Amino acid sequence: MSGLRTARFGLALALGLLVGGTARAQVAVRIQSPTPDQPIFGQTEVEVGIRSGEAVDRVEVFLDGKLVGSAKTPPFRVRVDVGDENVQREFKAVAYTVSGASGTDSVVTQPVQIMDELNLKLRALFVSVSRGGAQNLSLEQGDFQIYDNGDAQEIVTFGRDELPLTAVLLLDTSESMREKELEAVRRGARAFLGGMKPSDEAMLALFSDRLLKFTPFTADKKVLGAAFADAHAAGGTAVNDFLYLSLKALDSRQGQRVVVLFSDGSDVHSVLPASEVLWKARAGQSLIYWIQLGGQRKSFTSAWRDYQGNDQEYDNLDKAVRESGGRILAVERPEELEGAFRDILQELRQQYALGYYPTTAKGDGKWHKVEVRVKGFAGRVRTREGYADH
Amino acid sequence: MRARTDAKCQGGLLLCLVAAAWLGTGPIVWAQATAVPPASGDGTGSLGLKEGAKISSERVEEIYRKILLDWSAGETERAPEELIQLETAAIVDGEPKTRKALLGAEQRVIHQVGAADLEVLVPIAVLHHEAYRRLLERRTRGEAMAMVHTRSMARDLVILYHEQSGSEGAGLVASRLLTSLGGLLLQSAQQLPAGEMFQQAAELDGKNVAALLGLASIYEKNAQPETAVKQLRRALEADPASAEAKLRLALNLKRLDQTAEAGKLLEELTAAVDSSWVTPLAFQELARLHSDKGRQAEAEKVLRKGIERHPDDMRLVIQLAAVLDRRGSAGEATALVEKLLASQPKAEASARYLYNTVRPEAFAPARSFLAENSRSRLPVLAQALNAPAEASGMGLGR
Repeated sequence: MSGLRTARFGLALALGLLVGGTARAQVAVRIQSPTPDQPIFGQTEVEVGIRSGEAVDRVEVFLDGKLVGSAKTPPFRVRVDVGDENVQREFKAVAYTVSGASGTDSVVTQPVQIMDELNLKLRALFVSVSRGGAQNLSLEQGDFQIYDNGDAQEIVTFGRDELPLTAVLLLDTSESMREKELEAVRRGARAFLGGMKPSDEAMLALFSDRLLKFTPFTADKKVLGAAFADAHAAGGTAVNDFLYLSLKALDSRQGQRVVVLFSDGSDVHSVLPASEVLWKARAGQSLIYWIQLGGQRKSFTSAWRDYQGNDQEYDNLDKAVRESGGRILAVERPEELEGAFRDILQELRQQYALGYYPTTAKGDGKWHKVEVRVKGFAGRVRTREGYADH
Repeated sequence: MRARTDAKCQGGLLLCLVAAAWLGTGPIVWAQATAVPPASGDGTGSLGLKEGAKISSERVEEIYRKILLDWSAGETERAPEELIQLETAAIVDGEPKTRKALLGAEQRVIHQVGAADLEVLVPIAVLHHEAYRRLLERRTRGEAMAMVHTRSMARDLVILYHEQSGSEGAGLVASRLLTSLGGLLLQSAQQLPAGEMFQQAAELDGKNVAALLGLASIYEKNAQPETAVKQLRRALEADPASAEAKLRLALNLKRLDQTAEAGKLLEELTAAVDSSWVTPLAFQELARLHSDKGRQAEAEKVLRKGIERHPDDMRLVIQLAAVLDRRGSAGEATALVEKLLASQPKAEASARYLYNTVRPEAFAPARSFLAENSRSRLPVLAQALNAPAEASGMGLGR
């Protein structure tokens, strides 16, 4: 992992010569961050140090030859999204003084080596252990065994109810929802939010075929509760699109991540097929819980798909939920919704969090089957069924 | 456009036949009145009629005649309301004979005025159409049979008008009225009778694009894309510029795995200058087509162009994020989603919803056409109603 600095601060000063009486002030420029030995991905702050005998007018920052931002006042910082590709990148800073003098510096960062990438991929598993409906909450790290594609793995992190929780409550408020059902969903969501700890955060999103209302991720229960004000049912249902959006929004969060979806699942308005949601669920680390009201699954045709196609959609969504480590909670009556929301929060609180570095990870996108066992335990152990190795 | 009764009309016999069909089990009648319990309200309305109260046929004829007179005088608000009052008072759900009695009385009035001039059937049909539209909007319990009755009146009167007149103009009027009824039925999720209306409308006027689109939308919702394609090709033949017909054809061809033609149509739509909901949906579907074939780079290109054209279309952004995720640019995908979630969305109906929903405006041209044709015939109706009863008889026995 090496980098090049094409102009050094000291060198720039050493070459700072005055040329005749018309010479302009010399400008010494140094990119202080990022440094050549630093792997660069995503949002990156470029910080530039300037030494000059006169006031600096502006500093322009270029990424791979393209102007990406400028700063006019110290500290000279520019924020840029460099993307997630593991490639070499060149940062260049050009500073101009008020008289028009300029100086420049550049830094070339290198891609991280494959071994470094592998080291970053800690897999987190959230595990529910129960027998006869009661959770077993007295287990220790040594009680668990993780198998990744059949290979035993070393558990490197262990905990329960310690990680902060980030939840998206994704609530279907399409036109098929009546006021009684809406009120029951409101109560359920409020019960969930009421049970959150101060370190937890949630985003509440009301959707139909469009996103009707949503909050930012916040721990402020007033902000979350306010999203229900003026909520009314409208439009059709687009589960896939907004479930994908929720999973994507959770990508950049840390800790235990969950989407709690409330919908009947009869999606006739999404542009994304459920296979995209399944792909996303497999590639990510978020759990999906799906609360269904009305019990029985229904077959239907739509403008986009026939019965078979829609059944396949449902199956893929069902698979996404199960493989993520979440589950489907089917409730018959609106009065049962509040209990379902509470059950999910309680289940999340009672899960064990296990972390391991997969020994067989190759980043080839292939499916890894995961199994968690508890030594000498005959009850139910539930976690995500696996992941796609991206 | 107008056809007099003298040459062709053998109105008496035909009206009798139609009346028989109204009352019988012939193909014209849709037995779809659901068993809704009668309303318990005892409001009498401006006509002083109490629901379910027995009204003599003479009284019904008298009131119906008065309503037609109001309608011919341009009372566009009062006449349909009074017709609703009359029909909902006279017909009791679950008692078919009440409908038969009402029909008989209305039919006698129509015979009298229709004998003078066949053209009067148009405004009378449009009046019943308007009453049906209002009843549908209210969805009052206990009025199901009255709704079916007034809808059947509207439909059978224009069919009779077309059959008696035989003119191309009569076919156009009938076709538009059936199209509008089909649209109203679709709005109330009655796909089968709506399909029959559109089918008949398209038979009467093969260039009726609204009817062909309505028919195709029913086929595609019922997993019959092959039949939908046939209707859509007819619609495009009638109106090659119809963006909606092109989009629906592309999507149905896609379902039939005829992706080359589907792609070509979608490309045409995305290249066209059009500000309707059709274009963002065409971008979405073209990108989806590429993604389905594993051509994520092409999908990305289409979506970026789509977002440039339709920056407020949230679906295009979500779709682009998914494509970028697939392509390994997870950071850019996250940034897109974060940007999307940084602003409150516009809670407008999405293009996909509009595609999948009955849009009343799709049937607005048919309704304007009907309104215009009805208005122009109101003086004829007024004249027929004011003529002495002896002169207007059509020789039909009561």
